[in-house]
Amino acid sequence: MANHRCGSVSEEEPCCDISKKTKICLCVFFGLLVAVIIAVPVGILMWRHPLQEWKGKGTTAHFYEILLGRCYTYTQIVRPELGHKDCQKIGKAFTTAFLSKDPCSSTEQDYQPLLELTAQTVPCNKTLFWSKSSQLAHDYTRVQGDLFTLEDTLLGYMADGLKWCGDPRSSEMNYQSCPDWREDCSNNSFSVFWNAVSKRFAEDACGVVHVVLNGSISNTFDERSTFGRVEVFNLRPEKVHQLQAWVMHDVGGVHSDSCSSSSVNNLKRILKERSIAFSCQNNYGPIRLLQCVKNPEPSSCR
Amino acid sequence: MTARGLTPSLLLQLLVVAGAAGARWRGQGTTPHLQSIILGRCAEYDALVNPDPRGRNCTAIWEAFKVVLVKDPCSVLPSDYDRFIDLSRHSIPRDKSLFWENNHLLVTSYSENGLRFLPLCSVLYGRIGDFLSWCRQENASGLDYQSCPTSEDCENNAVDSFWKRASMQYARESSGVISVMLNGSEPSGAYPVKGFFADFEIPYLQKDKITRIEIWVMHEIGKPKVESCGEGTVKILEERLKKMGFQYSCINDHLPVKLLKCVDHSTHPDCVLN
Repeated sequence: MANHRCGSVSEEEPCCDISKKTKICLCVFFGLLVAVIIAVPVGILMWRHPLQEWKGKGTTAHFYEILLGRCYTYTQIVRPELGHKDCQKIGKAFTTAFLSKDPCSSTEQDYQPLLELTAQTVPCNKTLFWSKSSQLAHDYTRVQGDLFTLEDTLLGYMADGLKWCGDPRSSEMNYQSCPDWREDCSNNSFSVFWNAVSKRFAEDACGVVHVVLNGSISNTFDERSTFGRVEVFNLRPEKVHQLQAWVMHDVGGVHSDSCSSSSVNNLKRILKERSIAFSCQNNYGPIRLLQCVKNPEPSSCR
Repeated sequence: MTARGLTPSLLLQLLVVAGAAGARWRGQGTTPHLQSIILGRCAEYDALVNPDPRGRNCTAIWEAFKVVLVKDPCSVLPSDYDRFIDLSRHSIPRDKSLFWENNHLLVTSYSENGLRFLPLCSVLYGRIGDFLSWCRQENASGLDYQSCPTSEDCENNAVDSFWKRASMQYARESSGVISVMLNGSEPSGAYPVKGFFADFEIPYLQKDKITRIEIWVMHEIGKPKVESCGEGTVKILEERLKKMGFQYSCINDHLPVKLLKCVDHSTHPDCVLN
């Protein structure tokens, strides 16, 4: 019967020849082992640089799959009139904008090809801005399907809630950390993206546009917010003739600011200088109803 | 059966497509880029919504789903999704289950993406299939993008079998207070006696895990109230639950949901706040 066990040897062979053969094998084996033990760390050090470390959260897990899936969901199901958009190209343009680059030197030019591929017409009178009121504004457009926040446009929908950055010494995304706006750098790939898309969103707006503001915080209109810094200044007066603000107070909560407060008047002044009319309403009815859904008990909800 | 997963605009599209092209089946064709959408939804759920500490294998979940795509479009059984469900199932927090009939969009809005309630379309396996359509071609191996069978074409179609299997799982894993949202302005009755809720959810509710069942009969603002609590099909439902030994209650126009309906009708007398 043939003997297939590893290292089996015939009992016929003289002992010294076996030992010699075995010794040679063992030498070669250990030689290789030592070589590998030395070579592998050297190889790793030579070819794989550690990624930069930042203070902010890293790229979202499965970033690319999520991005692509959302693109297809948006163009095939949410707004099928955009079914002709090429999601593969769009995904590629998105990652090309930040991969293998310094995440602290991002520019709007990096995102130009992506912006071009995702151009979309938002109908006049249907643009909804928001500031410090994200949940409420999005709850409203979920119910009022014909209004658009930035996150209801293709590119905003794709990127909403995700985080991303690359590294100049690698072609990979940095899943460990990404630059924090305050503690690392302000021209980071994430912030530059949102500035660029917010600018375009404002430039594209036409007719009467709206903004949901939070009247339960001080500084309802904050000049340092994206709305205050970017969107207000990129509205085109020849296309947008009025901005209507809805100042919402938390149900049963503090009334810190309102249409008559100084921060809102500041907004009015800025718009006037840009030849855009301004109107304001406290606690716009339909959105008030939405707030009451979460909290139906207070008297203001009955 | 309700047109589960179809919005009014999708319904219109399907009527146009089915009518115009002389399509084989009555239902909407396979959603383009199905694989990318499903992989993306799974990845998103795992990264952002409800990460599984053991890690979910979305590729394996897709592979398990895929098995139905090679089957004859009228030979897909709920049990064909067993492996898919096995890989994608996760527990449902107590008191968060929300069952419904004829209310898809309202339920989606009210549940606030799973924050307030977790209806079937907010659990992973429901999220994966939500608003999608899929089937193999009748006489060839590729997917049919023109049309897919509905229950009127044949019972064992891929989409209906999916929702039957998903519904059974969802009901089995529900616990605590169970909420049910019905449409009391639906002409054919608020509680379809033959439907997903009646046939594939109620029978699978686990009595020992459920404290009570709360029924909300919602009416369209400014439209006739076809049925209310204790009437017509709602009465049939109440009696069935009683017979099964469940503690239940019924509310007409549950206030938080009514307020949500009012958002679109804020000037209607039924909706004006003081």
